[in-house]
Amino acid sequence: MNVEKWKVTFVVSRQKNQEPRLYQSFQLEIDPDEYVLDGVERIWAFHDRSLTYRHACHHSTCGACGMLVNGVEKLTCITSIRSVTHNGGTLKVEPLRNFAVVSDLVVDMSNFYTHLEAAQFGQVASLAQAALPHDADTRSVTDGEFERLVDCIECGLCVSACPSALTSETYYGPAVLAAAQQAFNQSKNSALIHFADQHDGAWGCHSAYECSAVCPSNVDPAWRIMDLRKKTLAYRIKQLFRK
Amino acid sequence: MIDHISSPKHNEGIWLWLYKILAGLLVIVVLGIHFVINHAVAPSGLLNYEDVIRYYKVPVIPIMEGFFLVIVVTHSLLGVRGIVLDMNPSQKVRRAADWIFTMFGATAIAYGIWLLVVLANR
Amino acid sequence: MSNHPTPSNFWRWFDPRNRQIGYWAFILNRITALGLTLYLLLHLIALSQLSQGAAAFNSFIAMAKNPVFKVGELLVIAAGVIHGLNGIRIALTSFGIGTRYQKQSFLALMAVALLILFWFGQIMFFGE
Repeated sequence: MNVEKWKVTFVVSRQKNQEPRLYQSFQLEIDPDEYVLDGVERIWAFHDRSLTYRHACHHSTCGACGMLVNGVEKLTCITSIRSVTHNGGTLKVEPLRNFAVVSDLVVDMSNFYTHLEAAQFGQVASLAQAALPHDADTRSVTDGEFERLVDCIECGLCVSACPSALTSETYYGPAVLAAAQQAFNQSKNSALIHFADQHDGAWGCHSAYECSAVCPSNVDPAWRIMDLRKKTLAYRIKQLFRK
Repeated sequence: MIDHISSPKHNEGIWLWLYKILAGLLVIVVLGIHFVINHAVAPSGLLNYEDVIRYYKVPVIPIMEGFFLVIVVTHSLLGVRGIVLDMNPSQKVRRAADWIFTMFGATAIAYGIWLLVVLANR
Repeated sequence: MSNHPTPSNFWRWFDPRNRQIGYWAFILNRITALGLTLYLLLHLIALSQLSQGAAAFNSFIAMAKNPVFKVGELLVIAAGVIHGLNGIRIALTSFGIGTRYQKQSFLALMAVALLILFWFGQIMFFGE
């Protein structure tokens, strides 16, 4: 059986030890229905063992392989080469924006994870609470209490695309705020309202909606931030009258 | 560190943001009135001095314009301040910026009101 | 240019490459905001001509009839209409109204803005 092969030039960002970024080109002959991550792996395996990148599950569940592909945030394990280039074309791979680069394609996500914990992010929710209210009910079983993992896979694509995260290190970012909204839905803990009610929280958003545009997992963080704003406002107004 | 994250900072954020949105909506309404009255209703579209002076003798006009001035200046400066805040300035820079914005706004409003009073009394 | 968040990245707020329509709205809103603020300053200064008396104001108006000036004014109107309509959309979505249709509502509002602009342009340059 003949597998179609394309000639693709991968242009990969290389950066070690805080040196300035360099772009290195690798010519690959590759099946276009493989994924960008597969291409990166081949480069590591057969061309340059010093290339550093993150990957784990290879099926869009772990959120490790987020990168910039031709300037757009993508989860590289589910982005086919065919969808981002053509035979004889180039494919530019860079690390996510708005995170410090550790090495090549790996960025420092430690603040991101710490803030997610502070947002009391609970990864499991009932079916009703995990789904977006405006999504059609896709449950096939409607009786009984079922739970599932919530949609956010903590990949950080949303932070990379966010204009507020571009210039502010302390802005919580869409994933963290979305997590706070998800957690508040489940626990109704008012500490989460205080968490969001900050200049660096829900009020730092400028409605660019780019986070929801790049999210590979249907979290819709922009909608969640607006929902959090509505809830925070309602809470603050109620507090005014309680005094 | 978790405490630092969840403790509320000083009182900006929600109320200034809410004011900015409401002021913005008001600006649209009053700008519409300002524009229509000044250029479609008032004689000559207020394109000569005598008509302007006569127009400002009607008491509701300086009052409307004064109100408009306040909400436009505050909305605009709150917006620019928001852009500055996006760059995550240090406490010192932020305080300096707030002071500059306040001075700018107060001066613009004071000057505008002075102008209105002068014109209404010509 | 830095890969981690810093204020010096601010020029990239205005870089629309590889971004989707919500980002275009953000850029437009920010640019028109700054433009309108500048205009506000100029407008307030220009109005001081009124305090200088009839001759000063009337000669300023005469200068303002110059077509270059009128093009500038049309740009201000464009900025005002775009910023105002976009602002209504932002106000609504900030309270959770119409968040799911923010793309469509942006396009629709900008179409309205274009129509208003054509109408104004016609009046200003070709009479009613």
